Amino acid sequence: MSSSSTPVSYPFAWDPPLAVPDRWRDLRDRSLVEVQLPSGDTALLVTRYRDVRALFSDRRLSRNTARYPTSRISPNNDLFGDPEIDSDPPRYLDERAIVTRAFSARRLEALRPLVWQVAGELMDAMDAGPRPADLMEAFAFPLPIRIICHMLGVPPGDNDRFRALVDGFMSVTKMSAEDVERCRAGLWSYLDELIEAHRAAPGDDLISELIRVNTTDPNALSDYQLQHWVRTLLIAGYVTTASQIGTSMAVLLNQPHIVEELRQDFSLVPGAVEELLRFQLMGASLGSLRYALADIELSDGAVVPAGSTVMLSVESNMDDTVFENPFELDIRRTENHHMTFGSGIHYCAGAALARMELQVSTEGLLRRYPKLRLAVPKEELARPAGGFLAAFSAVPVDW
Amino acid sequence: MSTGIRVTADAGRCVVSSLCVYRAPAVFDQDDDGHVTLLDPRPPVEHHEAVWRAARGCPTRAIQVEFEPS
Repeated sequence: MSSSSTPVSYPFAWDPPLAVPDRWRDLRDRSLVEVQLPSGDTALLVTRYRDVRALFSDRRLSRNTARYPTSRISPNNDLFGDPEIDSDPPRYLDERAIVTRAFSARRLEALRPLVWQVAGELMDAMDAGPRPADLMEAFAFPLPIRIICHMLGVPPGDNDRFRALVDGFMSVTKMSAEDVERCRAGLWSYLDELIEAHRAAPGDDLISELIRVNTTDPNALSDYQLQHWVRTLLIAGYVTTASQIGTSMAVLLNQPHIVEELRQDFSLVPGAVEELLRFQLMGASLGSLRYALADIELSDGAVVPAGSTVMLSVESNMDDTVFENPFELDIRRTENHHMTFGSGIHYCAGAALARMELQVSTEGLLRRYPKLRLAVPKEELARPAGGFLAAFSAVPVDW
Repeated sequence: MSTGIRVTADAGRCVVSSLCVYRAPAVFDQDDDGHVTLLDPRPPVEHHEAVWRAARGCPTRAIQVEFEPS
């Protein structure tokens, strides 16, 4: 292990709100940094892009993090660690293939007009509502929720019920053990009802498709795994995208010259979305927790010892051996193979959907509102502590 | 001197990131399962840079590019 000093507290503090944390700057001085997770357990953060990318494809790192003695992220919440779900190959790849077919770019492009339509409706409602508006509640959350509900066959109105439960399900230190458990149980019952409703009346949606697989071959997808995947798709379908819509718009509005550049040429939007994803002002590497099954040597000779808990750092998006001027937002970057969606076989299954929603959101909001601006000083943007993601709780905007 | 490239893509390694389809849509497509397919294994020079980028960026290194002497 290359680190012998006291472990640094992780995730790093976001202060000031629209800047990359200072800790990200010298992080790569060492290839491996010992960090302390919110649970109090420690983990080894792999800091350099080259190592991170290689380790995402290294089968000596297991994603079955419910395995003892993997470090825990939260003191009172198992989060995504479930001993009954096998997240390693070959099992994982077979299950993943059942869902990824619905998330290919080719299929998703057919949904783009719907995303534009929903964006238009939400902006109509913003126009009719009070100003300033909170972009998170008025736009960033409802847009991906409407789309994932459409794909899964979930009534969009259900979000009144599932959002609070998901919030508790993803608590790191925000809630007490009792509240986490209440949310976990509540989410479980909700999903059971949802799946039963689809069994009774199947439709042309992803939940019905998963049920067909489960009914035809329970070995391919058991009842338990079915529930797991529906939950995963629902949560992953909106929480991260909503957070990224809010934070990336705040970052953009804080850099008016880039907004102006985009308005002059909207074909720059996909590149801007990609760069804002690289910039990652709402996430941390908690989602990349792994368990080392064997000693693994890094490119500089440092060794990740067998039995350690490892995180593959999204902060490696700032590795200046790969990204020129990494702390600058450059929407014309052409080589932008960032680690925000991970890499290897666990590459975010919803990445193409997220990209499309982010592109439509960015272009839609900038087209509709030529004077869109933050309605509070940027220092007042606040990140609620103790959640899995570090999105702003509100992004007040005026136009 | 090499002027041509030959592209191969391994659908068995593909995990449907869709990145290649965005980066080089003239060369890559997806089958019904979302797995990579090739539209043009010997693409013309104007697509070479995008193909290289797609190969470098593929999360599971499912795309290989070789120079081919013309």
